Amino acid sequence: MDDAPFRPWLAVAVGGGSNITYVEQYLPILLLMVVVGAFAGGSVAGSRLLGPKRPTGAKEGPYESGIAPRYGPAARFPVRFYLVAMIFIIFDIEVVFLYPWAVMYRQLGVFGLSEMAAFAVVVFIAFAYMVSNGALDWGPHQKRGVPATDQLTRSTTSTVRRVPRPHELLLGVGPISMEDYPEPEEPAAQPAPSP
Amino acid sequence: MIGLLADVVGRVSDQATTSTTTIPVPCSISSGGAKITSVCSDTNSLHISVAYRSILPVLVLVIGALALLAISAVLPKRSRPGLYALLTVAIGGLALIASVWQWSDIGNINAHVPAGAQAALNYRLAHQLTIGQQVFYDRFSVLFMALVSVATILGAMTTDSYLRREGLDGVEAYVLMLMAGTGAMLMAASAGLIMLFLGLEIMSISLYVMAAYHRRRTQSGEAGLKYFVLGAFSSAIFLYGVALVYGATGSTQFLEMANFLGANSLSHNGILLAGMALLIVGLGFKVAAVPFHFWTPDVYQGSPTPFAGYMAAVAKAAGFAGLLRVLDMGLSTQQANWRPAIWLMAVLTLLVGSVMAIAQRDLKRMLAYSSISQAGYVLVGLQAASSTGTAGALFYLFTYTFIIMGTFAIISIIQGRGEARNDLGAVRGLAKRRPLLAAVLLVFLLAQAGVPFTTGFLAKFYVIQAAVQSGQYVLAIIAMLSAAIAAFFYLRVALLMYGTEGEAVAGAPGVSGGAGVSGGAGAGDGSILAGLQPIPSLDGATATATLLDPPAVDEKVRLPVAVALGICAAFTIAAGLSSPMIDFARHATTLFNLK
Amino acid sequence: MNAAYLIVALPITGALILLFGGRRIGDPLSGWLATIAAGGSFVGSVIVWASLLGRSGADRTVDKQIFTWIPVGSLHVDFALQLDPLSIAMVLFVTGVGSLIHLYSIGYMKGDRSYPRFFFLLNLFLFSMIVLVLADSYLFSFVGWEGVGFCSYGLVGFWFDRETAAVAAKKAFVTNRVGDFGFMVALFLMFGHFGSFSYSAVLGPLASGHSTLAGATATGIGLMLFLGAVGKSAQIPLYMWLPDAMEGPTPVSALIHAATMVTAGVYLVARSAPILHYSHAVLWVIAIVGATTALLAATIACAQNDIKRVLAYSTISQLGYMFLGEGSGDYTAGLFHMITHAFFKALLFLAAGSVIHALNDEQDMKKMGGLRKYLPITFPTFIIGYLALSGIPPFDGFWSKDAILDSAWHMSPALWAVGAVTAGLTAYYMSRQVALVWLGQARWTSDGHEGGGGHGGHGGGEPHESPWVMTAPLVILAFCATFGWLLNAPFGGLDFVNKWLAPVFPSTIDPAVHVGTGTKWVLGIAVTAICFLGLGLGLTAWRKVDRPALEPAVLVHGWYIDEAVSAAVSGPLTRMASAFSFMIDARVVDGAVNGLARFTSGTGRQLRRMQTGYVRNYALGIGIGTAVILAFVATRVGS
Repeated sequence: MDDAPFRPWLAVAVGGGSNITYVEQYLPILLLMVVVGAFAGGSVAGSRLLGPKRPTGAKEGPYESGIAPRYGPAARFPVRFYLVAMIFIIFDIEVVFLYPWAVMYRQLGVFGLSEMAAFAVVVFIAFAYMVSNGALDWGPHQKRGVPATDQLTRSTTSTVRRVPRPHELLLGVGPISMEDYPEPEEPAAQPAPSP
Repeated sequence: MIGLLADVVGRVSDQATTSTTTIPVPCSISSGGAKITSVCSDTNSLHISVAYRSILPVLVLVIGALALLAISAVLPKRSRPGLYALLTVAIGGLALIASVWQWSDIGNINAHVPAGAQAALNYRLAHQLTIGQQVFYDRFSVLFMALVSVATILGAMTTDSYLRREGLDGVEAYVLMLMAGTGAMLMAASAGLIMLFLGLEIMSISLYVMAAYHRRRTQSGEAGLKYFVLGAFSSAIFLYGVALVYGATGSTQFLEMANFLGANSLSHNGILLAGMALLIVGLGFKVAAVPFHFWTPDVYQGSPTPFAGYMAAVAKAAGFAGLLRVLDMGLSTQQANWRPAIWLMAVLTLLVGSVMAIAQRDLKRMLAYSSISQAGYVLVGLQAASSTGTAGALFYLFTYTFIIMGTFAIISIIQGRGEARNDLGAVRGLAKRRPLLAAVLLVFLLAQAGVPFTTGFLAKFYVIQAAVQSGQYVLAIIAMLSAAIAAFFYLRVALLMYGTEGEAVAGAPGVSGGAGVSGGAGAGDGSILAGLQPIPSLDGATATATLLDPPAVDEKVRLPVAVALGICAAFTIAAGLSSPMIDFARHATTLFNLK
Repeated sequence: MNAAYLIVALPITGALILLFGGRRIGDPLSGWLATIAAGGSFVGSVIVWASLLGRSGADRTVDKQIFTWIPVGSLHVDFALQLDPLSIAMVLFVTGVGSLIHLYSIGYMKGDRSYPRFFFLLNLFLFSMIVLVLADSYLFSFVGWEGVGFCSYGLVGFWFDRETAAVAAKKAFVTNRVGDFGFMVALFLMFGHFGSFSYSAVLGPLASGHSTLAGATATGIGLMLFLGAVGKSAQIPLYMWLPDAMEGPTPVSALIHAATMVTAGVYLVARSAPILHYSHAVLWVIAIVGATTALLAATIACAQNDIKRVLAYSTISQLGYMFLGEGSGDYTAGLFHMITHAFFKALLFLAAGSVIHALNDEQDMKKMGGLRKYLPITFPTFIIGYLALSGIPPFDGFWSKDAILDSAWHMSPALWAVGAVTAGLTAYYMSRQVALVWLGQARWTSDGHEGGGGHGGHGGGEPHESPWVMTAPLVILAFCATFGWLLNAPFGGLDFVNKWLAPVFPSTIDPAVHVGTGTKWVLGIAVTAICFLGLGLGLTAWRKVDRPALEPAVLVHGWYIDEAVSAAVSGPLTRMASAFSFMIDARVVDGAVNGLARFTSGTGRQLRRMQTGYVRNYALGIGIGTAVILAFVATRVGS
């Protein structure tokens, strides 16, 4: 590890000479951790100590784009939020790779092009898979348990996958994979084991 | 495919434009004080030479997985039952062919090793340390690639009917299986800790999802969650170990680590030893060695049954491949330090696995403990730290793949829809209902118990022999003792299968001739329950009831499963009679070595 | 010489045919098939024996390769047959007696619903036994060793719908596993020391005096081998399974539990003589265990009422004799007794089977009596077997017993005394059996018997003599029991067995027993007198049937050893296992299951608590393991 930039600073911090031992190389990291911890803890503690507390009903309620909520917050998030987040991350990472490649494009030549193409293909197949499984299909018509047969042909999924026509839907299977698998029946509460 | 094409195109374009690419790439490895620069012939080019041949099966699996995803994206949902399984079998077959080709290709490489130690070393480094020096192209890797290919084929064959029965059919299972296989292959082929870790994670993450694949079974979700959390924990430990070993040796490459440790004697080897310990912990978790085995019973019990078999075969094999690479190659100079640790782990694993298995009444849980105990034998081979021991361990892993996947496949048949019957009672009277199925299961049980003329016996024999050769008599005796204990619970299942209870329940005391073995093992039912099955459980009444009830499931064996079972049983017996496998294993132990 | 392959191939071929086609072949035919396979095997043995006879003594060891099983580095385990005087002697009598018993079984098992399965197991047994004795290495022998164990297990539990048969089979199996463990340890000790398993490589140099063996190593290997022999041959402390094994069909008792399998231990000890030679401690152990077992089993046999259990305890006792002879260093005497014992004990068992057959599965001697009139062939043959076992000259038993007792005298007069007392007891309890079964008044009723076993089909009516397939083996065996001693008569240069086995036990490891001719006469007359005494006592005392004073409960219960072992070992062991499984299974497993139940019914908060709880515990376990390993490497830092 090249600790040259730290040396003068270390010499001050440790107070020793120039011969820095093995363990001492890690001292800055330790110091950093201490500082981080102190800052985080200090911020929380400080705001709690210093901030005025005048709770009202409006302040306690969840903030939803300035609209007062009519119901309590749902216990579970629809899993689609995570799907979207994952799609975002996939392309985010692709971009992270694409930038340096763009910088080095000339030197890398055909080799770089083909490798990037392979990478893009991988990401694209994953994307196609997600879309075909309805990751981007959402809207008010997809209430639980109601197969949205009326808009099948115009869903995002149908752009990727051939979706059955309404008369083909014998089992009431909608395009949304999440809906194909109803939640398990909640079993009757079992008695706790006697202690 | 794309990469391969690109490689060819890249070479052509390199020749045309060598002058334009002028960025020097450091590609040398220090070996015994001599710099080896022959690794990159064209030092001024940024063309990165990718020896695709060395990861051919990996590429097959990855491209196959992507193809499956793409196909599933355009096909209507649930349009072709069995199509994905068929494709996966084909992909696994291609990977197997590729690994067979690799085996002979390495033979070609070995045939042309030049005379002279240094020249031979250079030649080997140039041809067998590939892909940015991250992958070994030796027979050790290839053996594991073949193993994973075989496991994938068998897994796909046995998974299909299970998924259809459970209403879970979809492409994801096969894609995950292929990805897990990819990770396992990379682990086995890794030439450094970084690659090892990458393979480990690729494999593990797929396996986590596979464990949780049965969405309607809460146990499955629990298994996935537990596996994930504990797996992440162990991965973190492993990574910490990587960091410490890197800190101590200055490299994450096995060869350079060995080189460094051979040339320098560390005065403060605490960091190295701590790193080594953490690496053992991380990999020990994957192979389910005691005391890092806690997850195994829960996960195997909860996972979809064919996946549990795949896990037991592939994850264990890959974990041991990693352990062998790290300990036998990277840290071979530290034998005096890791052998006692492995010794202790082996003893604990053997004993805890066998003893706990006796107390189980769930088939999958029992097999989980049994697989723990089997890992103990491989540890015995590893502990010997000799080529005999390594060969024994490789042989063990390869043959165990067939045994355990077959066993889990049979359990997935007899457990019935929704995994209704996983208890020991489910096999009761199986010989009456499905004589052939019972006979095949008997083969697997006997093989796991180590009965002669099965691969199980030879495998145990080889590792124990290696232990004896290295003077580890105590370990050998403990291993034999564990085999004796283990024979007990394998036999119990056999007895239940061939018991008369099923006959009595079926109400037809028919002629029991024919399968001659049946009567032989058919002794002692009530006594078995009374004597060998001490289960005073909280819900004792239920347990007894389920043990005595005849299973009410229909056991249809679809053709692919039957074929897979046939392959497994045939291999287990045929290779147990006189096995050329051990020759393969012995060739594969010639680990890439600087000595 | 190639007939050797025939010896091995015929029984396994028969077994395979019966396994796959037994039900189609049907009732009497499958029995004949098995018998022909066994008989062919015997013919093969005779041919090999004859061709070995044509060679000089030193040249009589031939290896016949089959295939290479384990090829690892320095270790090559071949499947090969070793034909030498010892193995041929063994295989001759195994296949000979085996063929007779196969023949007998055709009649005895008639009408059993698992007829083909019986002959499949019988043929498989014969194959395993042949492998055991013909193998050229300890490892290959071990394969046969396990094979006979399995077949014995299957045949003891043949009528597995009887609870007792099932339990007996399990007991036999588990007890044998203890012995097998000893055998396995011996195997690995041997491999560690000699680097080989083969008889020629391990024993050859030792026998010819070209190498030596440290006393401690010899003791270790010898004791472990003997532990294996103790399990297989039902010696103290692992003898309890043999009386229970009488639950099997009677031909099985005759073949496996009298003539052949139980003598595998005797064979193993004789085979390992070159190793034992280097450890007198082991020889003493063998002699003492043998003598003690002989005496103990004989006392128990005096108070048994089951016709087969008497013979079973008698078998244990006679096996003890064989070990006494071997422990005293006279292997030939032990083996000779094994051969004569095979004749007369198989005869007794088959005759007993004939009785049981005649009385519709009645085995209680107290319910027999006066049968001599009804079974005109079985009775005289039984009497011949009885006189042979009782050691009455000139029948077989007298000569072989005499040879053993002479060598025991040479070892220690105390051992001789134990043997002599046992001989007297043997004559006594056999006389009791003869008196109860054959003499006196009939205590059976001609119609009151129920067909208890799995094989039935006999109607009521008077006891009747068995068909010729059953009596023919009786007559042949009776002939052997009368004249078999001519194989090894100690005079007139008739000691063929001694001469034949001489190359196997060269003088370097088997020094001649120095007992003067005069002493031999005195000892022989003394033992014979004791035997006649026992004979007279038994016949007079048991004219009356009801003699509780002569049947103390302690003997009826076999000194309560079986009960004591069950109580002491099985009880706490089972309880320990229960407690263990309760702790682990109930706390951890059921805890997880119950946790799961709460998880499904509870809220997310509960879910989180339960889940993290268990995973945390697991993680803690992993953490502790990590800490242990780290602590371990910490001790090695700087080293």
